[in-house]
Amino acid sequence: MGRTYHIIKYLCLLAWTTFVVFPFLWALSTSFKDANAVTSGARYIPWVEFEPSVQGWTSLFASGSQGINIVTPFLNSASVTLLASIVSLGLGTLAAYGLSRFSYKAGFIKNADITFFFISQRIMPPIVLAIPFFLMLKEIQALDTIFGLVIVYVALLLPIAVWVMTDFFASIPKELDEMAMIDGCTPIGAFFRVVLPNSTAGLVVAGMFCLIFGWNDFFFAFILTFTETQLLPVASVSLNSSVTPWRSLSAFALISVTPLALIAIVVERFMSRGSLAGAIR
Amino acid sequence: MLKPKHFFLLPALLTLAAIILFPLIFTVRVSFSSWDVYQAGLDFIGGRNYARLLEDTRFWESLLRLSGMSFITVTLQYVLGFALALAVWKNMVGGRVFRVLFLVPMMTTPVVMSVIWRTVFHESLGPANDLLSMVGIGPVPWLSTATGAFISVVIVEVWQWTPFMFLLLLAGLVSLPREPFLAAAIDGASPVRTFWQVTFPLMAPISIGAIIIRLIEASKIMDTVYVMTSGGPGTATETPSYYIYIRGLRDFQVGYSASLSLAYLVLMIITLTIIAKLLMRFLVGKDD
Amino acid sequence: MLTLKNLSTADLKRPLSNLNAELESGKIYTILGRTGAGKTELLRTLMGLDDIADGRLELDGQDLAKRPVRRRQMSMVYQQFINYPHLTVLKNVAFPLRRQGLSAVDATERATAALALVGLAGFEHRMPSELSGGQQQRVAIARAIVKKARILLMDEPLANLDYKLREKLREEFPRLLAENADGIILYSTTEPAEAMELGHEMIVMHRGRILANGAPEDIFDAPATVEVAKLISDPPVSIVDGNVSGGRIVLGATTHLPTPDFVLPPDGPVQIGIRPDALSVGGDMPAKVVLAEFSGSDTIVHLALDFGAAVMLVEGIHEFSPDQDVSVALDTSTLLLFSADGKNITERRSNG
Repeated sequence: MGRTYHIIKYLCLLAWTTFVVFPFLWALSTSFKDANAVTSGARYIPWVEFEPSVQGWTSLFASGSQGINIVTPFLNSASVTLLASIVSLGLGTLAAYGLSRFSYKAGFIKNADITFFFISQRIMPPIVLAIPFFLMLKEIQALDTIFGLVIVYVALLLPIAVWVMTDFFASIPKELDEMAMIDGCTPIGAFFRVVLPNSTAGLVVAGMFCLIFGWNDFFFAFILTFTETQLLPVASVSLNSSVTPWRSLSAFALISVTPLALIAIVVERFMSRGSLAGAIR
Repeated sequence: MLKPKHFFLLPALLTLAAIILFPLIFTVRVSFSSWDVYQAGLDFIGGRNYARLLEDTRFWESLLRLSGMSFITVTLQYVLGFALALAVWKNMVGGRVFRVLFLVPMMTTPVVMSVIWRTVFHESLGPANDLLSMVGIGPVPWLSTATGAFISVVIVEVWQWTPFMFLLLLAGLVSLPREPFLAAAIDGASPVRTFWQVTFPLMAPISIGAIIIRLIEASKIMDTVYVMTSGGPGTATETPSYYIYIRGLRDFQVGYSASLSLAYLVLMIITLTIIAKLLMRFLVGKDD
Repeated sequence: MLTLKNLSTADLKRPLSNLNAELESGKIYTILGRTGAGKTELLRTLMGLDDIADGRLELDGQDLAKRPVRRRQMSMVYQQFINYPHLTVLKNVAFPLRRQGLSAVDATERATAALALVGLAGFEHRMPSELSGGQQQRVAIARAIVKKARILLMDEPLANLDYKLREKLREEFPRLLAENADGIILYSTTEPAEAMELGHEMIVMHRGRILANGAPEDIFDAPATVEVAKLISDPPVSIVDGNVSGGRIVLGATTHLPTPDFVLPPDGPVQIGIRPDALSVGGDMPAKVVLAEFSGSDTIVHLALDFGAAVMLVEGIHEFSPDQDVSVALDTSTLLLFSADGKNITERRSNG
């Protein structure tokens, strides 16, 4: 391949990288601005174009009228997302294994239909279920609680876990399960002792998607919580609607997206070892 | 009575059914009523909501708009994602850095990023117009005109979700068998030919899966529209999701919005099934 | 003793029909059949991996049909190399022992011994993915024999190995299988030579049925039917149509065979089985060469004679070209006579 090709390729990659990174850089820059700099037109480089100030950042950890608390929403988001992901991953993996190894039949409903049922849950826009969920949670007094949100999120994330793991288990030969049973395992034992230990790649992908779609949900958290249990996405938007403290907002945004951005590093490592290949098909 | 196979499937199935059964039944029931949240009980008005939605041009326009938007964004995401995956899947200088960076947007919260993008696209204070003015392009009305708003949303969607395609396609590429590529090299095929005759056909199943999943998610687009344009200006970026939201949670015409939701659900399932079948015939039939 | 009574399965592709057999402890049974004959099906059904549709399967008189796989006291080696990818070689072999409740120490000890037996001493801490095909299969074999199961099932275990490795392992088998000497060993294969060499008794299968069951030499000397005759040797026995007329066997139109040693059936159509080593070059039967191939250090020649097609085995490497004319001789002492509907009616005159 010629040198020109390589140069053009790297230029294109750099162009896309710039596009990818731009919003973050802009937010970073904005977060260090003082009140004037924010409203007087676009400024980019601190010290050169404006005086940096850490007020955008400190206000996040202060409470009271000045402050915008980020710690509580952060912890709430973390708890809800982790709990819902673990439950979804656990139940979903079991279901996916069942669907890939056994044949189910209830009338005319068979395996493929059951899988379709799981996956089709993703088609419904949040709005469809928002009001009924609201009423449901109200009935069991779970509105504005972590518990209530976890229930709803499990319904959202379970299909994802089932989708990824069903695909993944299809790539593990059934002979492995059989050998485990020949060697003395029960069918359930075969799953836990032999299949599961060989499923790390699939679990990583499924877990990653669960975390992503859980942490980043806005709508349900918006409808189903108010003051007691605020999640990160909702908190950031509520900032937006009041007098816009852009620099705090920018700092807020950067903190809220960091955890998952770090997961990208883990996922990439897995991917370059080629071991994810069987998990995503 | 508890056979192993039940142990595996039932917990998930029962849990899911328990959580969404009520909402589904409720939605169906309420779609046959004119409930507006304030009334005490549910009346029954037969199919009036459905009759109304058949004539609701705003709804059908939003569907059309969504089709256009989804088609454009998913196509761009697929093409760009594939190109990026092809560019970085082999060992190269900075490969890992690129791969990690390219994944990041997908991990971010759409709502939060939309807030940032909104400041980026701010017509007088945002860097988008500022940078463009440096190369002599006049202030672009990103969020105040119909076309501008549409394009802004498309840009944000492409930024946010190309990594999804990138991830799936990259994993697919890494798992391809070597032999066909060796054969192509021996036959002296050019890179372009190798792509069309070998890579693309081999990636067909993964491509279809990725496109379908992405279409399912893309059609629900809500957060970005909510934050950046509120469906506007006017109804320029109003998607079915947003319209259902307006009718249901702003106008509180819950019964009507339920009927819209169910109509939307049925239409989506039918459309996705057709698209899936078409894609399979188009992409998979190619490797003859 | 393992008993099969009218055993049938309902598998869509390869159903088994009406299998009957009594398998005794202390014996090695080889199952011979072509690909698709149902050998794997049979082993899987015995193992409990596939369901029985009809008939009975008994171990020491007790019905096995409802018993789960793990309680059948059986062990199996697959044709593909199946090992646990996430465990070391040692843990792979120790796995069944641990499931039986043995302590880690005891299991390790026995597993190490088994590995030494299959020639893999020193490989204990490698991962299966690091091993060659032959080594992986040996790990699988070690795992199968380490638990000294009552019944050891081996489904074409050497089929996916190269020729040299197959020979080497075949030689080692008597030693390996001595571990399970008190049990019942079933070994399936598509190669007649292997089946006859390894087994005390041979079971011949074809299209889901058992065609023959007994000592390999007996079946080889006197195959019960034409079907069996076609399966028991490689190169195969050639079956040609003929007639008994006027007290002689007539093949085709003109070839009369002298058969002083045989008691012939009454006049009528018959089928004749010609063993490949019964034909030799240099005789008075005209034939045309259709194809010649080398196998090992012998030459297999496919001939077209005026009464049908036959296969000739010639020792040594010889050149034959297609369409070449040769004259061959037929040694009639090893002929097989079958009735028109395929039953063996070979009867030798007992000498006074």
